[in-house]
Amino acid sequence: MKFEKVLPAITQRLFASRPLLADKLGLLARDAGKVTDLFLKTWLGRVGMAIILFFVILSIFTQLAVPYDPRIGSDDIRQDSSWEHPFGTDDIGRDVLVRTLHGTAASLTVGFVAMAISMGLGTVVGLASGYAGGWKDEVIMRINDVFLSIPWLVLMIVIAAVMHTQSLWAIILVIGITGWSTTARIVRAQVLTLKERQFVERARAIGSRDWHIIRKHILPNVVPLIFANAILTVAISILSESTLSFLGLGPRDVETWGKILEDAYRLNVEIVGPYAFIIMPGLCIVFVVLGFTFVGYAMDEVLNPKLRVR
Amino acid sequence: MRRILAKRVINAFITIILIMTLNFMLFRWMPGDPAKLMLNHSPHESDYAYLRNVEIMGLNDPLWEQFIKYFAMTFEGNWGLSYAFEMPVIDVIGQAILWTILLMGVSTFFTFVVGVWLGKIAARKRGRSPDLAITGFGLFFYGMPIFWFGIMLLVIFVGYWHILPSKGYMSDVPLYPITFDKIVDILTHLILPAATLTIGSIAGVTLIMRNSLVDVLTEDYIVTAYAKGLDDRQVMRKHASPNARLPIVTTVAMDTAFILGGVFQIEVVFGYKGIGWYSMQAIWNEDYPVLQFVFFIGGVAVVLANLIADIILVQLDPRVKIT
Repeated sequence: MKFEKVLPAITQRLFASRPLLADKLGLLARDAGKVTDLFLKTWLGRVGMAIILFFVILSIFTQLAVPYDPRIGSDDIRQDSSWEHPFGTDDIGRDVLVRTLHGTAASLTVGFVAMAISMGLGTVVGLASGYAGGWKDEVIMRINDVFLSIPWLVLMIVIAAVMHTQSLWAIILVIGITGWSTTARIVRAQVLTLKERQFVERARAIGSRDWHIIRKHILPNVVPLIFANAILTVAISILSESTLSFLGLGPRDVETWGKILEDAYRLNVEIVGPYAFIIMPGLCIVFVVLGFTFVGYAMDEVLNPKLRVR
Repeated sequence: MRRILAKRVINAFITIILIMTLNFMLFRWMPGDPAKLMLNHSPHESDYAYLRNVEIMGLNDPLWEQFIKYFAMTFEGNWGLSYAFEMPVIDVIGQAILWTILLMGVSTFFTFVVGVWLGKIAARKRGRSPDLAITGFGLFFYGMPIFWFGIMLLVIFVGYWHILPSKGYMSDVPLYPITFDKIVDILTHLILPAATLTIGSIAGVTLIMRNSLVDVLTEDYIVTAYAKGLDDRQVMRKHASPNARLPIVTTVAMDTAFILGGVFQIEVVFGYKGIGWYSMQAIWNEDYPVLQFVFFIGGVAVVLANLIADIILVQLDPRVKIT
């Protein structure tokens, strides 16, 4: 399938009533299609995409078709692996397989929403800092240094304690607001070079406002650069959530893989088994993270051709 | 060059001041009343004791006065009393810091030696199977939660084979006097945590060394070097490695924050009583002074590591400019 041809066709069909808009979107769709085509040619991109799709389908399937509530225990406590409970059961009789399946949705949610928060923050801060320059830039960069310097795990733990709620959304917020500093750095560096380019100078010469220049001339040139970074941030956010959960600071209201691992470790499963209890949720984390990392690297290769392997 | 260094030092100093400010503010927003938390651990609670604590801790003073006091005391080396242990924070985790440094030092050493070596192999055979294998495994370990990798090693070496000790930095005997047996004991306890940390953080170094070497190896002067008849080893040693090593210096520094995060997880998994282990205890006990100290010391360590890396980089590469 050629996305370069298919996507514009779909766009044209969808917006047939408004030809002007259809043409404009059609151009965007063609670019997106081109990138997708190049991306799917890479080995990393294909494998990564397959892994992510697998987990997305798994989480939808779990929500629709798995009839068990992962929060409700039973009398079958600490069962070994069997046909009935492939991954065993925990100390209040919850089936670990059901818990693991339900963890998929939480991990994906955390990954995407936390990524959106830290990307948004990072882009805004980076744009502001790079474009304003001078002392404002200095001030913002020093604050950025603070966030880069404090060990991320300690900062997260402290902020989680300050917020004092352990809902899924609080955890997402914690991960989001601690993860923006690298993005801000990248965006700022790019803005600094863009700012001096001729097209920006021309825009300024014809009297464009700062806001207009940022939105129309600078932002579009920054986006491709941070796109790959965004996908890698999804992976890092999922890792952060599992670490927080493992340390007992995870969300109380939903199942996550990190929480299952916390229970497994608390019950000494690594010594007494069943090993599937402790291996499978971890493998899920590894593969989801791997999927996003692969896609991120592949995107980087496609969008920043300088990096293509020589 | 002196100007560059001066600016770096000033920046580092500002960053440390800002870290301290954030540290002060964050812990003011923490839930719970410190005067009460201090009482929870002593048997005879009374209103009088509570009020006395408020007075001693200066909780009635205006915020700015508390802030100045916090700064003054930090520089004096007075880092507060632990609620849970009821003794100065430094006495609680002073020794723990040394154990953490041992763990970090050993694994950082191996991370860089092995990482650089693997990166060189991958770059020399770029695009061929050794490269793919190294990059693939690198990404695989990069995506692994480090605590889970530690648990997997526990499953194999403790749960299944019973050949290594599972918990702590040494067996349950006094540290002094140090004998040969005890050193061996400490080293056997170190194997699993250090291996976990090394393998968990090796991917970053390997991938950066590989990419930077690939960049260098496609430069014209490398072609020239081959053209004048040098062999692979000479080109690598004299022309490629020195330039490729520059990004590694920055990575060491940037990785400090990352490695500290890893150390926390590993110390919890292996019950290795370093600062990470004590910090987790502090969280569960709501022992904020300990946590505050770890926050401070961790931030300072990372800032200093970055500063040292900057200084080394300026020495190694005359092209470095102020950014």
